[in-house]
Amino acid sequence: MELTRYVTIGQYIPRDSAVHRLDPRTKIAAVTMLMVAIFIVRDFAGYALLTAFLLGVIVASQIPIGYVLRGLRPILFLLLLTVILNTFFSGVREGTPLFHIRGIVVYREAVMRAIFIGYRLITLVAVTSLLTFTTSPVELTDGIERILRPFRRIGVPAHELAMMMTIALRFIPTLLEETEKIMKAQMARGAEFDRGGALRRARALVPVLVPLFVSAFRRADELALAMEARCYRGGEHRTRMKELRFAPRDGIALAVALAAAVAIAIPYGLWQRLVL
Amino acid sequence: MAFIECETLTHIYLKGTPMETVAVRDVTLRIDQGEFVAIIGPTGSGKSTLVQHFNALLRPTSGTVRVGGVDLSDPKADRKAVRRQVGLLFQYPEHQLFGETVFEDVSFGPRNLGLPPDEVKTRVEEALRSVGLDPAEFGPRSPFSLSGGEMRRVAAAGVLAMSPTVLVLDEPAAGLDPRGKTEMLGHFRALHAQRGITVVLITHSMDEAAALAKRVVVLDRGRVVMDGPAREVFTRADELTAIGLGVPAVTDLVRRLRARGLPVRENVLTVDEAREAIREALGWS
Repeated sequence: MELTRYVTIGQYIPRDSAVHRLDPRTKIAAVTMLMVAIFIVRDFAGYALLTAFLLGVIVASQIPIGYVLRGLRPILFLLLLTVILNTFFSGVREGTPLFHIRGIVVYREAVMRAIFIGYRLITLVAVTSLLTFTTSPVELTDGIERILRPFRRIGVPAHELAMMMTIALRFIPTLLEETEKIMKAQMARGAEFDRGGALRRARALVPVLVPLFVSAFRRADELALAMEARCYRGGEHRTRMKELRFAPRDGIALAVALAAAVAIAIPYGLWQRLVL
Repeated sequence: MAFIECETLTHIYLKGTPMETVAVRDVTLRIDQGEFVAIIGPTGSGKSTLVQHFNALLRPTSGTVRVGGVDLSDPKADRKAVRRQVGLLFQYPEHQLFGETVFEDVSFGPRNLGLPPDEVKTRVEEALRSVGLDPAEFGPRSPFSLSGGEMRRVAAAGVLAMSPTVLVLDEPAAGLDPRGKTEMLGHFRALHAQRGITVVLITHSMDEAAALAKRVVVLDRGRVVMDGPAREVFTRADELTAIGLGVPAVTDLVRRLRARGLPVRENVLTVDEAREAIREALGWS
């Protein structure tokens, strides 16, 4: 039983690649631009370009492609459901009928649209997991803090939000380990978590949750004490060991991402009219 | 035939991911019924991983583990039956208490075995008594109102209530005060002596290992580097120091006396033995 194996949230894969070295703010901005483009794209040419660009980034980041695909496992069900629903209940009433089941006519256009929507989900997950694969949680929250900083004037507690995120991310593996330990200790005393119906399984988890909560509160308390002992008092006047600095490569990356996003978003037909 | 048999046992955590680590490497080990074995080794040497194979909490990446003749690498093996025979007390077990009352917590194991209520009650009371807690006084209390040492003993009772024939203890005395340590270990020593329970004790304390165990297994970076009678293992002081361990305090004393030229015999483990040996060497006996 290795819970850490199945949870890939916020997983970071350390590599020494060009993508890893980028400023987290650059990466967050690039991901945002690409996500907008993914929501706009409608045609084959756009999807082809998007795929090519994503593959390029994956190669440049030195992340094995299997890892990116593994991130899709949790949404597999959602993906299937989306594609099926869109195929049968798309609202498309005209076009080339392919086949029909119980009076529901399935059109070629509906199938195409369902595939596109499914592919859109896949690329969304791929883009965001590329961000977490190539950016350590600390860098990520640092980046978010800096991006949110201008909004402090209107009352957004940027530093506090970032600190909360850092701590939450930091404790995911710790709590998973703790859960595993408690479950093992109880399995050693004859508990079975994989037997019986949903109700019985849920009930078996109660003895796990009690010590888990107790220890989570204890840890929180200890952490708060440790932070206070080191004079932590929030964002004001706090300096940091690693200052975020934009490098020339960040400018290049942003320009490339913007160009790619625009190229992906503008339909092929419009390109033809614009250029020709 | 040995009760616990590991054959070229290897365990790799997170195999096939970038975080892959080999915790136990090629371990072959036999433990007989009725033995008292200490497993020592520096932090991260794979002690805890190794013992979790003894009651099928972990499955070997390669190699085999047999407990009471049952091959645990077989997916069809009855794990529950093995866990009934081999009780495992984890490190800092007091962090795993969950019951509203001590009684409820200790009875978790027997209830999982599906025993009738009166049998559960006898088992819980017996288990609490064997760790020196009065069932009438402690049974109805909340485990969270107890002291650290008492909580640890309640957790130990929870394992003992399963009536295991083998008891695997992962640093049962870590973090207790000296009296708590002596008492805790005393209970296990008594269980071994009176009921013939096989005990496997993981410890960082050479003194504990010397005082309690007849046999000592030394792990280093996942491998068994020494395995033999405590007396023999602790004469190899230089090797033990090299891997970050040491020898019991009295063994060290005797070594130093010898280095200063007093011909004390070497294989000394307890204070009484040391006194005898030194008197002999001085010609006082």
